[in-house]
Amino acid sequence: MSPYNKKTLLVGVAIAVIIGGGVSYFASRSPDGLEKTQADLGVTQPPHEGVAAPALVFHEYGLKWLGEGFWSNAIAGVAGVLLVLGLLLGLGRWMKAGKSGRDADAPASRQP
Amino acid sequence: MHIAPGFLSPPVWATMAAVSGATVAASLALARRRVGERQVPLMGVMGAFIFAAQMVNFPVLPGTSGHLGGGFLLGILLGAPVSVIVMASILMVQALVFQDGGVEALGANIFVMGVVPSLLGAAVRRLWLRPKQGIVTYAVTFFGGVVAVLIGATGVILMLFLSQSLPGSVSLLQAITVMDVIHLGIGAVEGAVTVAVVKFVLATRREAILSPAGPAGEKELA
Repeated sequence: MSPYNKKTLLVGVAIAVIIGGGVSYFASRSPDGLEKTQADLGVTQPPHEGVAAPALVFHEYGLKWLGEGFWSNAIAGVAGVLLVLGLLLGLGRWMKAGKSGRDADAPASRQP
Repeated sequence: MHIAPGFLSPPVWATMAAVSGATVAASLALARRRVGERQVPLMGVMGAFIFAAQMVNFPVLPGTSGHLGGGFLLGILLGAPVSVIVMASILMVQALVFQDGGVEALGANIFVMGVVPSLLGAAVRRLWLRPKQGIVTYAVTFFGGVVAVLIGATGVILMLFLSQSLPGSVSLLQAITVMDVIHLGIGAVEGAVTVAVVKFVLATRREAILSPAGPAGEKELA
């Protein structure tokens, strides 16, 4: 990997981990805009049958065995950050493969 | 703004799933021809950043909070197709791993927080690709962020209305008003954060932003 890309990844992931794993613990716990609107309008119970994902490891943004403390939130935040990152880097590899076949002869701007 | 399980009727969520599914598929096909070496890490870390930022709810009016959407920001930085893919990935992880948003409502959530703001962001993108930016770019971006959030918020209420999930005593207009007043505050934060983050990424990773625009952007680099 080029130093350029390595730096993008390191700095970006560091920022995301600090925000998702640390700062988010101090976020407001008030209902979000949609929940508040629904409460104000008097909607409390979902009128249809819905599908919620099972809480296998995480219960909302916390490790399900660890309650609601700082570390529970931090583990969930960092895990989510890494899951999204891994998923997108995987997709990115697949996308890049589609491009390199097409203009592999124009690498001028690829190398620093 | 994630729609929770059980608030959309089957015709509404199925329609939204089809629309968003088709949009994500088209985005994947388009992105596969565009994304280069330098966009992949940027796409990954921006996705990670938006996921993290969405965990940070800030107070809006008394008794309610909001968080960044991020689709508008990504539309500017990465263009519509890549932005849609990143937002869909985030919303999928949120719904499947963290029970944030109903699984059946995933298509609807991708539409209001992914597709709509990504397209609006992509429309503003060319302003940022010019060599210099000024007050016009900042103002258009700020208000674009507000509008993106308000369209999404209004879209959610329309879907709840069509799903007959609003009480009969409340008119559609009343419901939209309650929702949009709160989201005006959230949108202002969205707009301001978008301006700040685009400025930061442009200052540090200009090449990675330019390239998805195609050969024109890459020439500007050389």
